[in-house]
Amino acid sequence: MNLDSYFIAEEPYYSPTHNEIQLFEAAYATRMPMMLKGPTGCGKTRFVEYMAWKLKKPLITVSCHEDMTASDLVGRYLLDAEGTVWHDGPLTLAVRYGAICYLDEIVEARQDTSVVIHSLTDDRRMLSLEKKNEVVKAHQDFQIVISYNPGYQSVLKDLKESTKQRFGAIDFDYPKADDEAKIIAHESGIDVDTARKLVQISDRSRNLKGHGLDEGASTRMLIYAAQLISQGVSLEDACEVALVLPITDDHDIRNALSSAIEACA
Amino acid sequence: MAAASTTRGKYAVLPQHKEPGDPDERLVFLIEKAKSFFPKEYYPLWKDSCNRLAQAGYGTLIPLSYARHSPKLVKLLNSEAAINLAATVSLAAIKVNRATAELLPKAAVIAAHELQNYSSFIAWINTIEELIQSAPESVLAVLERTQKIVTTLTPTQFKSWVLAGLRSTGDDTLRQIQYFSFTDPESEKWFRHEAGDVVYTDLDRKLKLYLISLWNLRPPIRDLPASTAPLSLRRISITNGVVRVPEVFPGFHGEQAEKIFRAGLAHVGAHLVYSTKRFPLGELKPIQVALVSLLEDARVEHLAMQVFPGLRKLWLPFHVAKSNGPKLVPLLLARLSRALIDENYHDGDGWIQKGRDMFFDSSNDMSDPIMCRKIGVLLGNDLGQLRAQFNAKTYVVEPPYRDDNMGLWDFGDQQGTEEDDQGIFIEAMRMEQQEKEDSSESDTEREENDEESEQQYHARESTDQEQRESEVAVRYPEFDYLTGTERPNWTCVVEYFPDFGDAYKIERILETHQNLVNRITNLIQSANVSLPERLHHQNIGESLDLDACINAIISRRMGEIPDPHIYSTTERKHRDLSVMVLLDISNSTNDRIPKSGTSVLELEIQSTALLAYAMSELKDPFAISAFCSDGKEDVHYYRIKNFGTDYDSTARAYLAGLTGKLSTRMGPAMRHAARDLTLQRTHRRLLLVISDGEPSDIDVKDKNYLVEDARKVVRSNSRLGIDTFCVGLDAGGDNYLHKIFGRKNVAVIDNIDRLPERLPMLYLRLTA
Repeated sequence: MNLDSYFIAEEPYYSPTHNEIQLFEAAYATRMPMMLKGPTGCGKTRFVEYMAWKLKKPLITVSCHEDMTASDLVGRYLLDAEGTVWHDGPLTLAVRYGAICYLDEIVEARQDTSVVIHSLTDDRRMLSLEKKNEVVKAHQDFQIVISYNPGYQSVLKDLKESTKQRFGAIDFDYPKADDEAKIIAHESGIDVDTARKLVQISDRSRNLKGHGLDEGASTRMLIYAAQLISQGVSLEDACEVALVLPITDDHDIRNALSSAIEACA
Repeated sequence: MAAASTTRGKYAVLPQHKEPGDPDERLVFLIEKAKSFFPKEYYPLWKDSCNRLAQAGYGTLIPLSYARHSPKLVKLLNSEAAINLAATVSLAAIKVNRATAELLPKAAVIAAHELQNYSSFIAWINTIEELIQSAPESVLAVLERTQKIVTTLTPTQFKSWVLAGLRSTGDDTLRQIQYFSFTDPESEKWFRHEAGDVVYTDLDRKLKLYLISLWNLRPPIRDLPASTAPLSLRRISITNGVVRVPEVFPGFHGEQAEKIFRAGLAHVGAHLVYSTKRFPLGELKPIQVALVSLLEDARVEHLAMQVFPGLRKLWLPFHVAKSNGPKLVPLLLARLSRALIDENYHDGDGWIQKGRDMFFDSSNDMSDPIMCRKIGVLLGNDLGQLRAQFNAKTYVVEPPYRDDNMGLWDFGDQQGTEEDDQGIFIEAMRMEQQEKEDSSESDTEREENDEESEQQYHARESTDQEQRESEVAVRYPEFDYLTGTERPNWTCVVEYFPDFGDAYKIERILETHQNLVNRITNLIQSANVSLPERLHHQNIGESLDLDACINAIISRRMGEIPDPHIYSTTERKHRDLSVMVLLDISNSTNDRIPKSGTSVLELEIQSTALLAYAMSELKDPFAISAFCSDGKEDVHYYRIKNFGTDYDSTARAYLAGLTGKLSTRMGPAMRHAARDLTLQRTHRRLLLVISDGEPSDIDVKDKNYLVEDARKVVRSNSRLGIDTFCVGLDAGGDNYLHKIFGRKNVAVIDNIDRLPERLPMLYLRLTA
C-alpha cells in the first residue's frame, strides 16, 4: 500500500504564534501522541497540515462525528466477488504504513472510539484488530494527533481521564492582532488595513463570549469575511454575512454586534 | 393651546351679554345663546338634554357647565357629539360625583379640539365611560389631565394606558387614584410606553451587550424615572462607576431614541475608558467647570474615535448647533462642542476658533486630561471678560446624549464653604450620592444577576427590592387581549423556597397505592423502551448481517443486483423527552372532595408522587414546580425538583410540604416553567399543568384577561417546541381549559378521587 496521495505537496501557509513548531518537532521525534487544544477556527488543522509537510510525512485526517464507531476507524469486512474482504480503516492504514493520523474533534465520536487508540498511545504502539484476529505493530513513522476544543464540550462529551493522560498538548488561541491581520490578508488577498479592521471587529465579538455567545468570531470566519470583501462586498455586509448572522440567532446580540461593527468601520 | 382658546372663547363672548346671576335664569340664558350654534333640527334635541340634566336633581352647576361647553362641540365635531355628551355627563353624575360631571363637558371640548375627529372623540368618550364604571374615583384625575393625555396619546393608546392602570391596580382605589393622577411612577412609564416613546428598559439588554462588545465594560446601569428626575438629571450621569440613565429622552422617538441611548452609552464607555482621573474642583468658576467638562467630553470622544472611527457617525447627528445664533453662553458651548467634533463645521466666532485651535494644537497630548483643564480655564476667563452670563443652575449639557459630567469632578471636602453657583453642582452630587447609598446594595446584586439573565433569556431579571425569602425574581410580559399586545415586564415571578414536609409521607403514598404502583411498574416494563434493539438489514452498521450477506452473495452469483442492506446494528431507542409538572396550589385546592373528605391539594400531591415514581423509573428527565399568586407583582413559584437534580428525599419533602394558598395566575407561572424547559435539549418537551380552577388573581376583575394570557403562553410555548398539556380537576372547567390549551390537550378528570390513578396512566399514554 502506498500512501503517496496522503502527502502534502505544497507548503500550507502557517504563521506560528509561538514556539509550537519546535514543540511539535520535538514531540514527533519521540512519536509522542499529541493533543491540540483551542477554540474552533484558530488554525489547529492547518497547523497539522503544515507539520506533516515540514516533516515530509503522509497525513491521514479523520473528522470525528457522533455516529462514528470504532470500526469506522479500525476497518471492517466488506464483500467482493469472491467473498468477504477486510478493509483497513484510516487509523489502521496510518499505523500499518506510517503516517500522522489526525483525529479532528475526537470527543464528538462515541466513547468506544477513544478506547481503541489506547494501545497505540503507550509504549506498546500497536493496534489489535479483533475481528480480523490480527495485531498491527505501529510503523516507525506513525504518530497520533487529536484535536480537542474544551470550550463547548458538555459534561457528557469529555475525554476520559485515561485518554487525556496519554497525550502531550499544545494550546492554541487566536493569533495576536497583527499576526491575525497578516494571516487574513494572506488568505484572502485584501489589504492589511482592512484586515486589521476585521480583527478589531472580531475582538468585539470575542468580548461577548460568555454573555450570550459561546465563542467569538474565529480566524476562519474573518477570512471568510475578508474573502467576501475581496469580491467587492462592503465591509459591513461582509461582516453581517460571515460573522454576525452565523454566530447567533439572538436578536439583541445581533443588534449589539452590528452596532459595534458600525463603530469600527 | 386648546385650554387657552376655550377660556378666550368664554370671555370673548360673555361681556357682550351679561350673564344673569340667578342659576336658573343663567341656564335659560345659556340655552338661548346656544341656539345659533346648532342646525335647526338639532337644537330642540340639545335643549331637551339640557332640561333633562336640569331636572335630574344633580344641582345647578352640572347643567350650567353642559349648556356652556357642549355647544362648542358642534363646530369642532357635530351636533350629535354635543347632544350625546349629556348621557355621559349624567352617568358621571350618578356613578361618580357632581364635580366630575361638571368638569366633563369642559374636558370634552379640550379633547374634541385636539382630536378633531368624531370617531376618535367617541373612542375617547367610550374610554371615559369605561373608567367611570370601573374606577369612578379616578375619573376626575384623568379629566383634569385631558390636555396632556389627548395631545400625547391617540384614543386607542389612551384606552391602552387606562387598561394598564386598571390591570395593575386591581381593586385598590387609592392606587388607582395615584396611577391616574400620575403620582405613581408606573403611570408615567406606561404613558410613555403607550406614546411609543422608547424607554430605556426596552433597550437595556441590547445596550449592555453593546458596551461589552465595544470595550468589555459592564458598569451597573440604572434607569431614572423621567417624572421624578430633576432637570439636571435629564442627562446620563456616572457616579462611582454607576451609570444612571434617564428612562426616556423626551422628544426622541423610535429609531432616533435608540440612537440617542446608544450614543449616550458609547459616550459613557469613552469616559470609563479614558477619563481615568477626576479633576480637583479647586477654585474653578462654574463656567470653567462646564468648559473643562466639555473639553474632556471632546477629548474622550476623540480618543474613542481613533479606535472606533464609526462612532463619529453615531455622535455627529446630535451636534446641531448653528454658527449664526445669538452669543449666549449655553449656545456658544454647544457650538464649541460641535466645532471640536465636526471637521466640516465652520464657525466665524473668534472665541470658538480659539478653542478649536487650542484643542487641536499638535503640542497637546490627547491622552492626558490635564490639557482640558488648561484650555478650559483660559476659555472660561475669556468668556468672563466678555461679561457673558452663565447660569449654572439652568445649564444642561448639550447635545443631550452627553452625560452631566458630575463624575469627572472631585469635590473634595469643600462642601461647607461653597459659593452659591458652585453649590448647585455639589447639591446635584449629593442627591445622587444619597440615591446611590439607598440603592448600592441592589446595584451589586443586579450586577451579579446579569450573568444569569444573559443566558439567552429574554426575561429580565431583577433582584427583589423587599426583604423576601426568595432566590430570584423574574419579570415577564403579559398579554392583554383588549389591546392585542403584550405589556413588557408586567408581572413578576418570585421564586420562594418551598417548605419542608415529611418525606415519608410520599413513601407512604406509594405504599398505600401498592396495587397501582405494581401496575405502573408492569406498564413501564412492557413499555420499557430503553432496552437495546438489534436492527437487521441496515444500510450501515457495526457488524455484518450474515443472512443478508448470504442473500446478497446469492443474488450476485445469480447475476442480480445485490441488496446493499447487509449490516446490522444495535440501537438504544431511548425516550427523548423532558417533562415539567406544574402544580396549581391556589387556595381553592384546599377544598375537600365531598365523598372522601381529602383535599384537592392532597390528591394533587398523591398523584404527583405516583407520577414522579413513574417518571423516575422511565428515566425521563423531569422537574416539578408549584405556583400560586398574590397579584401581578408577586407570583409565587416553588421548585420542588429541578431537571438536573435527583428525585431524592429533599424533593419528596418539598412535595409533601406544599400548602394551598392565594390565587391562580397561570400565565406567568407557565412562562417561568417554559424557561427551564427551553434549556432542555431533548427532542420533546412537555409542560404538564395540573390545575383545579380557572385562572384568577386578586388584582384582576376581568376573568377573560388571564384566560387569554394563558392561551397566549400556550401558543408561544408551541413555537418554542414545548407541548403544553393540562389535567383539569374541575368538572365544569371544560370551557376555559379548552380555550387555553386547545381541545386535544386537556384531560378533565371529573372524579377527582381517581386522580392518583389516572395521572400516571395518562402520562404513559401521552408520552408513549
